[in-house]
Amino acid sequence: MTQRRVVITAASAISPIGHGREQIVESLLKGKSGVTTLREDELISRFIHSRVYGTVSYPIAYDFARQHRKTMGPVSYYACQVAKDVLGQAGLPGDFVTGGRLGIAFGSIHGSPTVQRNIYKIFFEAKDKATYQGIGAVDYLKSMVHTTAVNISKMFGITGRIISSGTACTTSSQSIGYGYEAVKYGLQDAMLCGGADEYDTITVAVFDNLLACSTAFNDHPGQTPRPFDRARDGLVVAEGAGAVMLEEYEFARKRGATILAEVIGFACNSNGGDLILPNLDGITKTLRLGLENAQINASDVDLVSAHATATKMGDIIEAQATGAVFGFQPRVVALKSYMGHTMAACGAVETVMTLYMMQDGFIAPTLNLEDIDDRCAMITHVRKLTEYPVKTAAIQNFAFGGVNTSLLIRKLT
Amino acid sequence: MTRQDIEKEVRAIFLREFEVENPEPDVNLREAYGFDSIDAIELLLEIEKFLGSELTQAEKKKAMDIRTLNQIIDYIERLAEKRQATAETK
Repeated sequence: MTQRRVVITAASAISPIGHGREQIVESLLKGKSGVTTLREDELISRFIHSRVYGTVSYPIAYDFARQHRKTMGPVSYYACQVAKDVLGQAGLPGDFVTGGRLGIAFGSIHGSPTVQRNIYKIFFEAKDKATYQGIGAVDYLKSMVHTTAVNISKMFGITGRIISSGTACTTSSQSIGYGYEAVKYGLQDAMLCGGADEYDTITVAVFDNLLACSTAFNDHPGQTPRPFDRARDGLVVAEGAGAVMLEEYEFARKRGATILAEVIGFACNSNGGDLILPNLDGITKTLRLGLENAQINASDVDLVSAHATATKMGDIIEAQATGAVFGFQPRVVALKSYMGHTMAACGAVETVMTLYMMQDGFIAPTLNLEDIDDRCAMITHVRKLTEYPVKTAAIQNFAFGGVNTSLLIRKLT
Repeated sequence: MTRQDIEKEVRAIFLREFEVENPEPDVNLREAYGFDSIDAIELLLEIEKFLGSELTQAEKKKAMDIRTLNQIIDYIERLAEKRQATAETK
């Protein structure tokens, strides 16, 4: 089967540390955290032990027409905004965008929980017909699991294939990976890829009840999460969105597109066992499969963006797997230390941030990494802002359900 | 309920729910204002609220052929007359 080269021609993110390149780079350079206090939802938030959240706390000037807004929950606002950003940056011709050779790979962990909550409120409380009619005709379109992908498709008239992974924390790394494969094997010439998740206290409650959320820094939100640190005490749930535009290399080059990087490899596997616990063997295999797919050696990788949620076991297993595959050669950064875990968006958001660092020649340090856990010490942690010409980076993400991904990108020289 | 009352309410619904100000009475709503099938369902709910009574499935299906503002007003006028007649026979 013919294999084509795939490049990234645009990238954007809405994250707790900023929207778009300028704000995000500034936050990374200044070591600014986007973790704040959990908002009260007047429902379950008062029972949650973890009082921190990676929050998009700045206004976003959306400019979406009513005909699009009417099928969008909060998650689709994020998704459509980053999609709009990358479509604007990429500058693809209008007839190409609508012509069927541009597809979409975009997802969220479970659509819009805000809209779903309103539906279920009526489900449990409806006592008469009038209350029942509170379930809007468009509530499903706003809340369904592929709502982000199809709202992007509708807003921009994109008619290619739709892939909408919903694999929790690997949702958007799969989006990029499967988008890469769609372009690589000629199924599409370009793919708009990413993921999004909206503010949601239920997600916090789920992790809180699993004792996986950070609780020890409730009064100092900026000091958590603490990936690989001895004092880490769990993850911090966050909101946001990330997107990249992937294009076939020759197509991008001929039209004079700005090429940010090349996607050189992708791997995804599953642990085939426990749905919660991280699996050293499964993760190690993923990282090796990624290198194999990219046809490079471990020593070629100079930066690893770790999944690193700051859970006790997750960080240890990831450090062991990363150390076993890469050794001390690449520098390792845990970008969730800046913003928490953006759930479905994390793979794309962390890829976008890695691209920014690659472009600007620096590596941001892992925040809050003051005392490296000995059990995570078999890799090279970045602890201070480092000027470095990153050429090849690996972005690692792992999800509940035992899904693992590794994405490899390289700067074109 | 006069035809003028109905028109006033329909125009208010269009402004409030569909952000369409002063729609032309006889233009195709889809072509002129992007009024689509989702909007049509929302409009039926608004009509039920306005009339203060539920529409039957058969009545809702009749609405599927509506294309213009005047046709909406005609449709509501007939529904209102039917309900008035039903009320008077009771």
